[in-house]
Amino acid sequence: MATAAESLRSFDTVPRERPRLVRLARLARQHPTGVFGLVVIAGFVVLGIFGPAIAPYDPRELRTGGVLEGPSRAHPFGTNALGQDVLSRVIAGARISLIISFSAVFIGGSIGSFLGIVSGYYGRWVDYLIQRSGEAWAAFPSIVFYFMLITAFGQGVKTIIIAIAIGALFGGSRVLRGATMVEARSTYVEAARALGASEARIFFRHVLPNVLPLTVVLMSTSLGGAILAESALAFLGIGVEPGTPSWGIDMSGENLTVARLGYWHVVVFPGLAISLVVLGANLLGDALRDIWDPRLRR
Amino acid sequence: MRQYALRRLAYLPLIAALVSVITFFTLRMPWAGDPVTYMSTQNTTVEDQERLRKELGLDKPVAVQFGLWLGDVLRGDFGETFRGRQPVLDEVMRRFPATLEIMVLSLGFTVLFGVTFGVVSAVRQDSFADYGLRVFAVFGQSVPDFFLLILLIVLPSIWWNYSHPIGGHVSIFEDPIRNLRLYVPPTLLLAVGGSALMMRVTRSAMLEVLRQDYMRTARAKGLGAYAVIVRHGLRNALIPIITLAGNHLVALFFGAVILEQVFSINGLGQFFLTSAAQRDFPVMQFLVLYSALVVMGLNLVVDLSYALIDPRIKYS
Repeated sequence: MATAAESLRSFDTVPRERPRLVRLARLARQHPTGVFGLVVIAGFVVLGIFGPAIAPYDPRELRTGGVLEGPSRAHPFGTNALGQDVLSRVIAGARISLIISFSAVFIGGSIGSFLGIVSGYYGRWVDYLIQRSGEAWAAFPSIVFYFMLITAFGQGVKTIIIAIAIGALFGGSRVLRGATMVEARSTYVEAARALGASEARIFFRHVLPNVLPLTVVLMSTSLGGAILAESALAFLGIGVEPGTPSWGIDMSGENLTVARLGYWHVVVFPGLAISLVVLGANLLGDALRDIWDPRLRR
Repeated sequence: MRQYALRRLAYLPLIAALVSVITFFTLRMPWAGDPVTYMSTQNTTVEDQERLRKELGLDKPVAVQFGLWLGDVLRGDFGETFRGRQPVLDEVMRRFPATLEIMVLSLGFTVLFGVTFGVVSAVRQDSFADYGLRVFAVFGQSVPDFFLLILLIVLPSIWWNYSHPIGGHVSIFEDPIRNLRLYVPPTLLLAVGGSALMMRVTRSAMLEVLRQDYMRTARAKGLGAYAVIVRHGLRNALIPIITLAGNHLVALFFGAVILEQVFSINGLGQFFLTSAAQRDFPVMQFLVLYSALVVMGLNLVVDLSYALIDPRIKYS
């Protein structure tokens, strides 16, 4: 017959929580594409911060070599019509893309999460108001909306960030609203209420900690779209100021004209840079979402 | 259902009016940019500017301007463009076919490929095809559409010495072959991002449906693969697909602007961009009003189609 001591000892055979690093390594093995995404985004951030220091030439410097030279050892990505080094411009272009996409996603993601949580937990007219505005916004062609913002705030980095943030805001509020509603109606919340917990305690101790990590997932999944939106606006010439080293700008105007004549390297490398970073952001976002909640997968 | 549709239709003019008011007054904010300055050259005198302002009716108070504009619109007159002084409606109609064709073709390709890929990838889950299509979906959502369109210009000319036509809209009724050669390749590429997203949505909706008991019943009855997958399966997965198709059409407004820009096609997207850059108010007002009406009508159609697809959905 098992004594109390023996049954206590048998608890030892239950594996203890592994060290954090081991758990991380295992997570990484399960999500190799997520690790790839993380590496790409880390590289993107590093280039965005230190880009100008790393770049072999000043991205604005004219005549670093010949004009429209193909890729060579001195200019791995070639030079453009002004003789600027394409590699340096690609490296420097990370900065504006980083600033805009990260701030837009951070601002939109946090406001959107806040609104979504309030709307999911409180419901009633707040919910109605937020959801209807989200639908109205989604029904409006984004380019028309963007021009309204330009006329209201003027063209510039600030306006681009606001425009992209609003997109992330409504998308995020919907996701967090759903998640909050699920948590608020779960059995453990009912149990807490039955035990006499106050509304504030239920909200801050039970609901909030369970939905808040979703904010991070949300921000990472909307990062790719934000980078794409920024580059598309720059490409159309209605984004960041002309002259700024920007991937979208470098694929338009004069560069696009010479690309039509066969100087492919001028536009292809900035395009590859955008694609790679967006791919990284999407893979990272997918992996984080799977880790957080496999049910959200689609 | 009919009542619901009528009630929704009754809202249209109300929202259209609201959109018009907002557009009208935002455009005329003191800091929004003055059309007269955009139309001036170095030789324009202050008197010229004043005369121009008077001609365009911009000297009146904004509320009066709005009243005049509204009166004209209700009589079916959308005014003249600031630049060139042509009737707005004529200028729009001239550019309309190109943009319509871009949107119709691109939406068609998106739905065709997105749904087909999604169904195949769900039915053959974890197969080689599924794997390949999912990789396509990940990449398709990552490459900017304007980059794909630029590659269409750059790569064929290097590889096969073929250059894709730039600009010059040809009516599909006049010269179908030239028209399709101009529009099919770019709209196909414009559909890549959308079909990647649509494939993911279709796939997950289909996977959900395929697990249902009635699917097993349908197979057990001895129905053929087509009847099982399309009539029993896809039909029940249609709601998220239709929703996405509606959203995608709205997103294609932006796509059309990009495509027209890359290929120098003089469509409504280009018209909007240039008019916005020059603050050509009548054109912007018309296009904003028009797109709002199109989008609202579209949403109504999407909502009503839910009831057709799923009889359990009733509107009252």
